[in-house]
Amino acid sequence: MKRVAHWWTEERRAYLLLVLPAVAVYWAVMAFPTIFSFVLSLTNYNGGAIFNNPNIELVGFKHYLRMFNDRYFWISLKNNGLIMAVSVFGQIPLGFLFAYVIHRKLVKFGDFFQTIIYLPCVISTIIVGRLWQSFFSPYGPFTEFMQKLQPGWENELFFDPQLAILPVLFVILWMYTGTYMIIFLANLQKIDPALIEAARIDGATEWQVLVRIMLPALSGVIVTACILAISGSLKSFDLLYAMTGGNPARRTSVLALYMYDTAFRHSPNYPLANAISVVMVLLSFAIILMVRFTEAKFGGRE
Amino acid sequence: MKDQKIRKSDFHPVLRIFVYLMVIVFTVLTLYPLYWLFISSLKTNTEFQLNLIGWPQRPTFNNYPSAWRLAQFDTLFVNSIFFTVVSTLLIIAFSLMAGFAFAKIRSKLTTFLHGSFIIGILLTLQSIMVPLFLMSIAVGLYDTRLGVLIPYVGMGLPIGIYLCTEFIKSIPDSVVESARIDGASYFRIFLSIIAPMAKPVAVTLAILNVSGVWNEFMLINILVSRDALRTLPVGILKFSGALASDHGRQFAALTIGLVPMVIFYLIFRKQITQGVSAGAVKG
Repeated sequence: MKRVAHWWTEERRAYLLLVLPAVAVYWAVMAFPTIFSFVLSLTNYNGGAIFNNPNIELVGFKHYLRMFNDRYFWISLKNNGLIMAVSVFGQIPLGFLFAYVIHRKLVKFGDFFQTIIYLPCVISTIIVGRLWQSFFSPYGPFTEFMQKLQPGWENELFFDPQLAILPVLFVILWMYTGTYMIIFLANLQKIDPALIEAARIDGATEWQVLVRIMLPALSGVIVTACILAISGSLKSFDLLYAMTGGNPARRTSVLALYMYDTAFRHSPNYPLANAISVVMVLLSFAIILMVRFTEAKFGGRE
Repeated sequence: MKDQKIRKSDFHPVLRIFVYLMVIVFTVLTLYPLYWLFISSLKTNTEFQLNLIGWPQRPTFNNYPSAWRLAQFDTLFVNSIFFTVVSTLLIIAFSLMAGFAFAKIRSKLTTFLHGSFIIGILLTLQSIMVPLFLMSIAVGLYDTRLGVLIPYVGMGLPIGIYLCTEFIKSIPDSVVESARIDGASYFRIFLSIIAPMAKPVAVTLAILNVSGVWNEFMLINILVSRDALRTLPVGILKFSGALASDHGRQFAALTIGLVPMVIFYLIFRKQITQGVSAGAVKG
């Protein structure tokens, strides 16, 4: 746009007024708290007035050390890792498979299957968590089926610290595969059908079409899906809160739940909770950078 | 579409059967638990204990009115609708305004401001929950409607601004320029040209935020403690935790909570799937 001198003041005023509401709200509740969280994690603040409180002192990285020495931090981190693995190596390939199968009309009633497979994503995670908790509980259908297969089977899924994470991982796989299916499906539909048809006329097999045309065309989307899956798995909270509450013996805790417990259960420890959240932010940025780096180095054509 | 047809011989029958199996297993895993939930909500507790998975012998809807009353579903619905509608409208308005400024008005601030929103796409809500809680107490917004609404709007802005800026950029500059030459102010242009044109992106944002806010649990759970401000997810979890052994009513409450979203999905299936793929932005 050409800039004419006497427009200038109005232009500037308009700009500022237009961005003001968004910027004010966003900085107040997202950007500032993120920075504030880091500052708090370095202090000894634990209740009382938060602004202008003379008793707050900087204590350095003490809380970070304490966190790294806490076994529940590592248990939570491990569970986040498991969720991440299920997301990246379970949801994404399965989502792709479903998208491919529906897009290429390998199954009939593709529309119906698509609707049902995505359905779990629209239901509140809390309801999903309670429903599956009942489903896997000793009075749920899962126990009944297992006892049909194996009379006398005792359901200890939610009591055994080793096993309790399994139903959670299953539900996570079940719940979010649909999202990736939708994303892949939308992008498969963007590929020019003429391109595929031409390849087929030239004698390419369906497999070659998949590997040589579709996967390269989707490489960017696959990276996006990985980033979504990774950041999504660091966010897990609601489902675990509703399904297991992190128990038994906090063995199904995740970082967000570990932070919640630190800040809001028993005696609150706000600086430690903030240290956890800072580590979560850094982790997610670091992993996303790694994905980006891998993409830049080994990435396919787009 | 003819060109999408596949030569059947390309796929081994075993492969086709495998594919069908996978799809059917997923479908059953979705439909069966919902079916079980529904039939269990029609049983009395005595019947549930004797008959865990079968069709109820004497189906009764009695659990529904009492679950509705005990869980105070009227309050929950009013609050859920309020937070969802108001935050969605504000997000759309603020995102379009800022998106218009970022896309069509030159300023040195744009790189920094727009960039700060883009980083926000990657920020997790978890990373701000403790500071938000402490801040909301410090400024007196704890346990108030406004104290929930502002974070909900802030949460939706990064993706909103990203989508709106991209969309408005795709509107030709000449549209704005010729209106300027005719003497229209930027606010006029925004209200009578940009906003009407931006309908598709507004619909996408509405879809993304309605499902996001309607189902949001974590923030409202820590920012509110009064019964009067609870939304569906918070109320349902409280209820189902308190009455864990009262299966019939618990399942009735879960069903009540589940139905609106499922209906919403079935009606707006197309828009929702489009919205989800549009919202899947690379970080």
